[in-house]
Amino acid sequence: MTNYGLVIDQERCIGCQTCAVTCKQENNVPMGQFWNRVLTVGGDHIDTPEGSYPEDGESGDLDMQYQPTACQHCENAPCVKVCPVNATYKRDDGIVEIDYDKCIGCRYCMAACPYNARVFNWDEPQHLPEEGTGDVEERPQGVVEKCTFCSHRVEEGLDPACAVNCPADARIFGDLDDETSTVSKYVNEYNTEQLLDEKGTDPNTYYVQGEMTPGRTWTSDKLESELDEQPTPEEAGDPDSEKSMQGATADPVWGDD
Amino acid sequence: MSGEVTERSATSTARSPVLSSFGVVSKVWLGLLGVLLVAGLGAWAYQLQQGLVVTGMRNVFSWGLYIMLFVMFVGLSAGGLIISSAPKFFHSDRYEGFARLGVLVSLACIIVAGLLILPDIGRPERLYQFFTSPDFRSPMVWDFGIVVLYGVLNVWYLWLLTRRDLAARGSRLAFGAEDTQAGRDRDRKLLFWTAAVALPTAVMLHSVTGWIFATQVGRGDWFSPLVAPVFIAKALVSGLGLLLVVSILADRYTGFDADRDELASLGKMLGIFLAFHVVYLLAAERLPHAWADHFGFWAITSEFLIGDSVYFWLWTGVGGALPLVLLATPQLRKRLSVIFVAGVLAVFGTLFEGVRLVFTGYESVNIDAAPGISLGGEYAGVTTDIWATTGAYTPTVIELVVTAGIVAFGALIVTVGLRFVPLQRRTEQERYAPDGGGGGCD
Repeated sequence: MTNYGLVIDQERCIGCQTCAVTCKQENNVPMGQFWNRVLTVGGDHIDTPEGSYPEDGESGDLDMQYQPTACQHCENAPCVKVCPVNATYKRDDGIVEIDYDKCIGCRYCMAACPYNARVFNWDEPQHLPEEGTGDVEERPQGVVEKCTFCSHRVEEGLDPACAVNCPADARIFGDLDDETSTVSKYVNEYNTEQLLDEKGTDPNTYYVQGEMTPGRTWTSDKLESELDEQPTPEEAGDPDSEKSMQGATADPVWGDD
Repeated sequence: MSGEVTERSATSTARSPVLSSFGVVSKVWLGLLGVLLVAGLGAWAYQLQQGLVVTGMRNVFSWGLYIMLFVMFVGLSAGGLIISSAPKFFHSDRYEGFARLGVLVSLACIIVAGLLILPDIGRPERLYQFFTSPDFRSPMVWDFGIVVLYGVLNVWYLWLLTRRDLAARGSRLAFGAEDTQAGRDRDRKLLFWTAAVALPTAVMLHSVTGWIFATQVGRGDWFSPLVAPVFIAKALVSGLGLLLVVSILADRYTGFDADRDELASLGKMLGIFLAFHVVYLLAAERLPHAWADHFGFWAITSEFLIGDSVYFWLWTGVGGALPLVLLATPQLRKRLSVIFVAGVLAVFGTLFEGVRLVFTGYESVNIDAAPGISLGGEYAGVTTDIWATTGAYTPTVIELVVTAGIVAFGALIVTVGLRFVPLQRRTEQERYAPDGGGGGCD
């Protein structure tokens, strides 16, 4: 079975917001709404750290980390369990998706989602340009929408837009059930966390912290499994085989002490 | 007690509606309700066209007044049914005079609760999906089922209580039932069995409504096993409070005759329910958190005793402690005015309990890193601030008007019921045959 998941390497993430913007374009997300947000874990505003600046010969403790956040595609998805009409459902390939023709707009799923990943079309959605962007299903006023892991792309053998367009190669998409996939390897070999794991939702999205991974190492926009030639073990980040990839950039700029 | 009843002929004990006609005052009242109803429909039509953007709800705070009042009216619907069915289940004639009015009020409240969901729904034309594509894991499906069942049960119960009297008056609402002694005796047995079904149904209704919230891991204090019992207690408090208020009003303005001793006794019961709900259950909910979160004795004590929001104090102070004191003071608690005020305050308190419950779920978010969550709605160009890291909510005029219209519809049901359903009418010292309980069973 296929079980799609996403690994986000927070040590690689540079906070450029490209994934958030490309998601909005690819999925024709209405103005005033975001499916994918790059949060700053640190100060009160984006791109600001917490802690104090090093002054008077003292060492400061400024700290900041970027946390790209979208639907976590949970295994035990509360939003799926609360949907009264089966409009939100978990696909066999692990993607949590919404049937926009079924959604009655009760917003119980928004109450259920601990990540605030879902948005509701409070009025007729506005798009710029008006004809919209991307090749996706239209969502009317009065329904809930959210990240689909770009299921329209995945079905064509392409990685989600956010993964392909990440300039830091910090987003790796793949099959968690395939032990040889890069996502599986990173989840096994690196220190990964699931957001709010104490809630028991068991997300299919994993965040790498501490040691930096080699990232998404192939340049095609295809799914790893669709590539004619699989990434080599080094490229796929097999930590036993090679440490050299990490080299100069292995130490995170901040965070790890 | 039961012996003297069976000696009478069936028809001489037949009751009448407590309003024999709609007078000027009633017509003004009905007119007011009609205006509110039409205004509410208009506001809902406007909301359907513009979208829920005309409400105060947004992506962080995504449930508002409609759900707060849904919770309240589900609770309010408990009073009448429990006051009428609990004695019948135990073959008692107590509170007999309140049974019919109580069920009428319960029916109106559950209809209001059900209707309050409609304007909260983004695409109400798709509600048929509840039948064609239900997910039985969803507490909302459970609640939909139990609200409908409870409504149907109330209709059946009210009709069963009154059908012989309706027949005696030649009303078409008897639907072929005849006023015979045998029929009345049979109805007493049916009423016992209906009560036996109604009580667990009521318990389920309030528990399931609580579980809509209590099952959610993502919304702070909602995720608590205490929510369902608290909803039961809340229903007892607010339902009985409303029944007392409506009874005293009906006693004042219609032919309805509320027994003073029983009112005082029900008032005492309201005090006990309040003590259980606002003192005991709240303490049981707060103490473990206060103890675990703090170290010093006074820190624990103050965290335990001192509430966090104005809604908390409106609920526990104005709607809890105050009516409790009124009902516990021997010189006061038998006065009609005091019972009335205590009932109003108890209902007022549970309104803010529901408001507080929704606020505790939405005002803070689990992941509050900057810039936060996109709010959606009202996008007015690139300068729009679409982000929020906390939830804020104020109902809009549209929400208030829609809500007032639905509540007016409930009041309309009760008013029309007072006119056409034989609830009871004051006559010269005459006793009525009880509808169930002791009469047929000993």
